[in-house]
Amino acid sequence: MKKVKIIAGVTWALAGMILIIILFPFLNSFSSSVAKLPFMKINANYSGGAAASEIIAEGCTIVVRKPVFDGLIGERKNGFVQVDWRGNVAEKMSDSIDYDLDGAPDFLVQVDRSSIKTLLVPLNPMVTDLKTSTQTSYGWAVRVGIKK
Amino acid sequence: MDKVLTDAGMKKSFGKALLYTLPMLLITFMFISGGRPDFSNPATSLAMMITFLLVNVLYFMMHYSGKTDQYRAILFIIFAISLSFTLISNMIATRNSMSFSQADILECKIPFCHLVIPMMILPAAFTQSIIFPGSIIGGFASIAPMIVLWLVATLVLGRGFCSWGCFYGGWDDGFSRVRKKRTITRINEIWKWMPFAVLILVSLTAALTLLPTYCSWICPFKAVTEFEKVTSVESAAKAGVFVSLFAGFVVVLPVMTRKRTQCSFLCPLGAVNTLSNKVTPFTVKIDKTACNECFKCVQACPLFAISRDNIRKGEVSVFCSKCGKCVDTCPNNAIHYGIKGVPAGTMKYFSRNLFLFVSFLFIAVFSAGSIINSLNSFLKLFF
Repeated sequence: MKKVKIIAGVTWALAGMILIIILFPFLNSFSSSVAKLPFMKINANYSGGAAASEIIAEGCTIVVRKPVFDGLIGERKNGFVQVDWRGNVAEKMSDSIDYDLDGAPDFLVQVDRSSIKTLLVPLNPMVTDLKTSTQTSYGWAVRVGIKK
Repeated sequence: MDKVLTDAGMKKSFGKALLYTLPMLLITFMFISGGRPDFSNPATSLAMMITFLLVNVLYFMMHYSGKTDQYRAILFIIFAISLSFTLISNMIATRNSMSFSQADILECKIPFCHLVIPMMILPAAFTQSIIFPGSIIGGFASIAPMIVLWLVATLVLGRGFCSWGCFYGGWDDGFSRVRKKRTITRINEIWKWMPFAVLILVSLTAALTLLPTYCSWICPFKAVTEFEKVTSVESAAKAGVFVSLFAGFVVVLPVMTRKRTQCSFLCPLGAVNTLSNKVTPFTVKIDKTACNECFKCVQACPLFAISRDNIRKGEVSVFCSKCGKCVDTCPNNAIHYGIKGVPAGTMKYFSRNLFLFVSFLFIAVFSAGSIINSLNSFLKLFF
């Protein structure tokens, strides 16, 4: 039994050595495999959620994301909707957004990029407040708080 | 007498030490140069050469002198400083600031580090997603490679990751060596369980809020890496907490206690790594027949991993990070690196050589990029 334990221990240690030796040369392929695991995607609370609709106007694309209510189990009462302005973004923007895709605008958002001021006009009682309004590498992004 | 006994321990002749260093020389050469050294950029070439020489001289010295901890600590501390330098310089190059903005969060551009891992587990299980605004793969400090590096290192080294892989540990390890005598001599060992409380707290709060709460509110290393831009009372409070905890747990307490207090009392990943010590093949053994119970190792251990009870039982606790300080301190060579299943006092040389090769290879290759980058930035001032 003592010999078996020694052999098992030494084998495991040598296997560990091989693991460390191959770790760095194969790091990219190991990482790609790990990245394919089902949970390896950024939570919608950070990524902003999938695109729900796109409006193209004067070289600028307005991307309205799906509302995010993600909680640990099920959905939360309060969430947000992210709107991205991509491409040739004007100095002043004023756009009505229909996030629930019912054909009626839910809020009006006005952004003055030079003074970094954003005005939110809720047109739907489910719209609560302005969470974030910021310049991004692709243009501008706004997150608006909403209720279920 | 003590000195003579210690030196007689694991010390090797010059030629033998060089022979043991040869595999490390070859492997680190392949990793650092990519197999094809390019001398077109003098600053980068010199940075690579210095890094290559540094890691191999340290590894050679471990074999030649028979000492482990002091040479490990040099690389470990350099790694921590160079990693912070790399992170900060990357932040300044890409954002003109050490702080990240709302846009960086929205675009998921925040560099990922291993300390987030414990907070990801519950949300990943329930929501099938990662609660961190970083990149899954590709780009600077992405999530998947960091998980792979940590997972493999932890599987093989256990809590050894905390002394041979963690790019933050070098900070409090460094400060714990500043003074020769301790100002605070008595610390209740119950505090060593504190990381488990922090782990439970941050895991639960992260699951409930879907926020990496340790990173958002506690992590002392935000002070030497990157943090949220101060734009509100909340962000100012967070910055205050980061700086205070860094000053307290990483600078002042390690200086006063000569212990790694951040790693011992605060780090939630340290708690996870402690559990992983149960599966790793490598361990530190106490040969009771050679031990004269001087308890110098108890004093020396920076992580409260050895108590008098441990010595009487003949085994270190699961808190051991295999730094080698106790091994170097023991005047009778009663403490040594070992392999699980192999009785204490036997296969000492084989166990130490194998452990040193594995652990040093990991830190040498893992740290090389940061050290080269930092040296390169410095050398560019002259070239």
